[in-house]
Formats: sequence, structure tokens, C-alpha cells
Amino acid sequence: MTAPPGSSGGLPAAPAPDGPEATAPPADTWHRVHFISPLVRGWIALVAILYFVGRDWFEGLFSGGSRERGPLPEGIGLLVAGGIVLGVVVVVAAAFLVSWYFTRYQVTAEHVRVHSGVVFRQQRQARLDRVQAIDIVQPFLARIFGLAELKFEVADAGESAVRLAFLKLADARRLRATILARAAGVDPDPEHPEEAVEAPEREVVAIPPARVVGAAVLSGTTVALVVAAAVVTTLGVVLETPIIATSFIPILIGVVGAYWSALNTGYNFRAATSPDGIRMRYGLLDTRSQTVPPGRVQALSIQQSPLWRLKGWYRVTVNVAGYGASVSSEGQARATLLPVGTRDEVLQILALVLPDPGTPRPVEVFTAGMAGRDGAEGFATTPRRARWLAPLAWRRTGFVGTRTALLMRSGVLWRQLVVVPHERTQSLSIEQGPVERRFRVSNLQFQTTPGPVNPRVLLADSATAWELFHGQAARAAEARRRSGPEQWMKPVPGALPAAAATGTTEDTAATADTGAGEAGFTGDTGQTRHDDAGTPQDDARPAPGVRDVMPEVPLYAPAPGGTEEPADGR
Amino acid sequence: MRREPIDPSGLEWSRVSPKYLRVRLLGWLIGSVVWLVLASVPLVLRLTGLWDSFPPPVIAWGLPAVVLVIAVWRGVLLPRQVASIGYAERDDDLLVRQGVFFQRTMVVPYGRMQYVDVAVGPLERAFGICTLKLHTASPATNALIPGLPSEEGTRLREQLSARGEARLAGL
Repeated sequence: MTAPPGSSGGLPAAPAPDGPEATAPPADTWHRVHFISPLVRGWIALVAILYFVGRDWFEGLFSGGSRERGPLPEGIGLLVAGGIVLGVVVVVAAAFLVSWYFTRYQVTAEHVRVHSGVVFRQQRQARLDRVQAIDIVQPFLARIFGLAELKFEVADAGESAVRLAFLKLADARRLRATILARAAGVDPDPEHPEEAVEAPEREVVAIPPARVVGAAVLSGTTVALVVAAAVVTTLGVVLETPIIATSFIPILIGVVGAYWSALNTGYNFRAATSPDGIRMRYGLLDTRSQTVPPGRVQALSIQQSPLWRLKGWYRVTVNVAGYGASVSSEGQARATLLPVGTRDEVLQILALVLPDPGTPRPVEVFTAGMAGRDGAEGFATTPRRARWLAPLAWRRTGFVGTRTALLMRSGVLWRQLVVVPHERTQSLSIEQGPVERRFRVSNLQFQTTPGPVNPRVLLADSATAWELFHGQAARAAEARRRSGPEQWMKPVPGALPAAAATGTTEDTAATADTGAGEAGFTGDTGQTRHDDAGTPQDDARPAPGVRDVMPEVPLYAPAPGGTEEPADGR
Repeated sequence: MRREPIDPSGLEWSRVSPKYLRVRLLGWLIGSVVWLVLASVPLVLRLTGLWDSFPPPVIAWGLPAVVLVIAVWRGVLLPRQVASIGYAERDDDLLVRQGVFFQRTMVVPYGRMQYVDVAVGPLERAFGICTLKLHTASPATNALIPGLPSEEGTRLREQLSARGEARLAGL
């Protein structure tokens, strides 16, 4: 442990020209991550070395005492051993330090660049407006030091495009704000181009820890535990060997691990809306803060297991291009928009992802999708003639299209509702096997970016499926023409059709005005923005350019009381 | 081409080159012979008396028979399978269909295409055909058009790239 501080003591001479704390940097300075990060990243290696050495030394202390060795040889041996250990530690630390020294990053107006590597050098450059998500991760040890890792995701579904580990938490936040502001297409303040304020956020969902515990208890893990207990007990009784109870230990370890993982990733979960998109924070020891900018959710799935039905809980997972299809618990947690929530919270999250549901009865339609069956709210289910192909699920399997999204419902015991915004449809295939042809039904499969959500419609009536197939291609093309720009706050010069000019847009503009007033947003830039805010924008999307106003929380109104937005679904 | 019940109406399907059937038949022939030889090993062992105790006659005769039946079945099906492959270019999207028993039709909007692959294997090169594959942001998009004549493949690639560029729409 002595090496890193010692080495870092010699550092100021080297990185002085462009150190991390360089004062008033011009726009395109190169930065390094925080100098403690090699220690935080390499702590496992250091701990392992110290553990092995320490154990040897510790054991040697005892055995040496009992065997009455001569003090001198032991002293020399200790010195030699200590020297070797110190050497190894220094080499490891030096390796991390060199790697740290050669890793530099830069955020320009359009790109983020990272140079890394000593022997094999890598220069990576990612376009800011291609950002799919930004995470700030704080592993436990980094949290102790007040450090955080920044992850910048683009759509290639592999490793994070840019990982900066570690930065000071405040620096990471500032960097995220800068990246998001530039990615959003907001013109930088001409006087302080480096300073981008963090967009304000409004919390919409907070999950109490008790519910996270309850959700873990009511999960498949518990079922597995009960089944395992029953099997082990039965075996023990039948074979009359209580020793078999020891086989419980590995099961118990696995179960505790699963519970811990559920608790650690679901604890203190908070979702918020901000002009930069949806924000999520969660974590017990390791904390994570995710930002998914508007329009980055490719597909969304609402699931309910049989046990959760007792409490009326749902889980919401999403496909985001940058998150990929990781099966690790971390990857699953990242793709979870709501680990456990009630119906109202699910609708709230849906309203964030899909501000314009494209139907005058959103609450009824989504509720029918989550829990209903048969043709209520326009769902096209499996025709009666094909009921023997899916004797349980045929009344539930179905789909319905709104003006902005397609809803696919399936599952009787494990209920699922998949929502795909029309403009996010990648490609679509229709499939039919010989048996299905006999019953005149077809399967529809949507292709989307990798992730936990698999949007498909099974056993739909062939004629209806073809209608959807052709209609979907046209709807997707239309929705893409209407959808917001990649840089979500870039003003669009009059590209929006009259259909978007509904009552809700006026509301948005009005709230933007009041919000700006409240925030003391004055001056000439504010004035020009107000003009822009008058142009009809996508519902609940903030007015272009205005990033630091408190966002209005979009919410689906039930149909009978929904007098504010009667024009919406026409 | 034969209209299958799953076909959408009012579409002009372009068929793949007849040479592709020959390539597939050649591949089928080679594959079938190899499998048949492998499956006949127990039978040969038994008939030559080298090892007459191990494989019971049911397996010795049954294995090559099953392989033969499967091979013949696949061979009979091949012309229909190849004939079922089709693609149609529309204004906004490309449709690809395939399959005889398990039919599949896929629509890929031009604006969703990330890149286009044209691949040529040695056998395909000898017959002057190529395989074209479309990639979107989803790895599950399996839009494959095999057996295109080389010049048609080049034309289609250029056409798709041009249309994709004109309609490009992020993700």
C-alpha cells in the first residue's frame, strides 16, 4: 500500500501541463481520470497480494514461535520476503499508474475522445449526438473515496463506448451535464462554454425498501428455496440420513446471493424525469445513476409473475441500444426501468417513455394490456378456431395498435405486455408453419436492438396479421417522419405536421413559460427561446433550447376524466 | 412463381437466379453422399464380417435408410425451397420471403438499414452468383437474399445503400 502514494508523490512534475485540475482550460484540453483511480481499480490485486503474504507471515509467526527457530534466519527471511512482496506491489502499482498516465480523455463540441494503452495504443472517438445512455456508477470502494465511473453508451450493444474510471463525483456529474447538453444540441453559453448546468429533474417514482424486500421474497428464488427444502427434507426422511441437510448449504448460498442481488440493485430505486430524459438511481452498496435521453427506448416490457399478482406488482424492462443483452445481474438491473411497481407507477413510467400514448383512453388500454383478456379495448386476440394451439393463453395473446405505439400482450401465468413505439420498429417478419396455416393464423416477430424485451405476437389471425404487417411498415415510416430529432433539443425548423398541435402542446409551452419565470430565466436568450417554445413540439418534450426548466410530469388521464386532452386521440 | 397462402397480395416478387438451385443441388449432393457414407459404416462393418456382433441389424440397415430418406426428402424439397425465395423492392422498404412449410416474410425499411453485405463463396463464384445480407441495428434481422446474379447483387447493393442514405433515421 505504500507504493501508490509514493509514486503519486513524484507525479506532479509529469502531468503538470494538462493535469486533471488544470485551471480554466480552453475548450479541447486533454484530461486524465482521478489519480486515485489506479488504486481503486487495482485494489483487488493489492488486497490479494497482501492477503497471501500476510497469511504466510502470520502463520510463520505462530509456527516460528512454536518451533523455536533461531531469530536471525527468520529475520533475514522476513526481509527477503518483504522485499519481494514490496517489489510485486510496486510493479503492480506501477502498471496501473502507467496505464492511468496514458489514458486521457477529451470532450469537444461534437465528440468525446479517449486515448489509452501504452504498447498497443487505442484512440477512440464517439459522436455525442449518438449517445444512447449515460451512467454514473459508484462501486462501494469508489464511493468511499467520493469517486464515480462515467459510462457513455452508443448503439453497438457491446462494451461501453467510453468508460471513465474514476472521476470525482462532482466532476462526473459536470461531465455528464456537459455531454448531455451538447448531445441535446443546446447552444453553449458563449461566455462560459465549459459550464453546462445539470438539467433539473422531478422525481416521479420512489420505491420503498420494504417493497423491494417483499418483491424478493415473492420471487422465483423463494419458490426454488421452498422446493429445494421440500426435496431435501423428503430425501432426509425417506433415507433417514440427516447428513443430507448439509446439501442445503450451497443452495442457501445461491439463494442468499440472489436475494442480495435483488436488494442491492433495487434498493432506494428512484425514477425522475428531466429535460435530458429519464433518470434512474438505485443501489445499496454500489450505486448507479442512469440517464436515458428521450426517444432512446426501443421497446418496453411490463411483466408480472404469478406471485406478484397477489400484490399487484409489475416489473418494467426496456431495450436501450447501448445497454445490450447482458445476462449478468448488473446488465439486467441496467435494463430495468422499474424493478417493482404498482399499476399506477407503471402507468407513470409509461407516460415518461411514451408521452403521447396515441389513444384517448390510455389508462384503460394499458390496463387491459397488463391484466385483461379477450377483445376489450380493441385487442385482437387469437381466433377461437386456433384455441387448441394455445388452450390457456389464446384469450390473452393479442395486440392493439395506437397512433404512436404497438402493444403486444401475452401470458396467462407470467403476464407480459410489450410496447414498441412505431418509430422504433427495426424490421418485422411474419411467420407461418404448416399447423398454423391449417388454422389460418400467423406469428409476427419484431426485430429490435438487443435486450431483454422480445416483441412478438403469436397466433394472430392471418388476415389481421397481414394488415398489421403492411400497416406497421407504413406507420413506422410515418412515425419516423414525425419523431423528434436525434439531438432532442435542437429546434426543428417547421418540420412538424399540424396533427401535433393539440391542446397538450399548448400546455407544454405554457408550463415552459412559467417554469422559466420561476427559475429566474431572464435575458435575451430566454426571450428568443420563448419564441421557439411556441412552435408545436412533441408532447411533453421540452421546448427546444430550454434545458434548465423543471420538467412537467406527463401523466395519462383516465378516459372519463380526461377532459384536458380530448383532441389527442382524434 | 407459385403463390403461397402467406403471400401478401399485389406484390411483384423477384426470384433468385436458377443457377442458385444448381449450387444448392450440388451442395446437397455432396452433403448427402458424405452423410450416407458415414451412416453406412456400421452396415459395411457388418457385411464384411469385420465386426458382426456390435450393430444389431436394425441399426445397421436403419441408419443409412433414415439418412437416405432424409436426403431424398431434402432433395425433393430443394427446388421448391429455392423457388420460394423472393424479394420485392417497394418505395419505403424491402420485403424478403422464404420457406415452403415454415414460411417467413420480412420487411426491412430502407431507413433502418445500417449496412449491406455481399458475400461470394467459391462455389457461388463459379456460378456467378452472390449472397446479399441486410443489417439493421438488430442482430435478429435475418434478411438474407441468396443466389443473386452478380450484377443484380451489385445493383441491389448500390440501390439499397442509396435509398438507405436518403431515408436514414438514426435508430
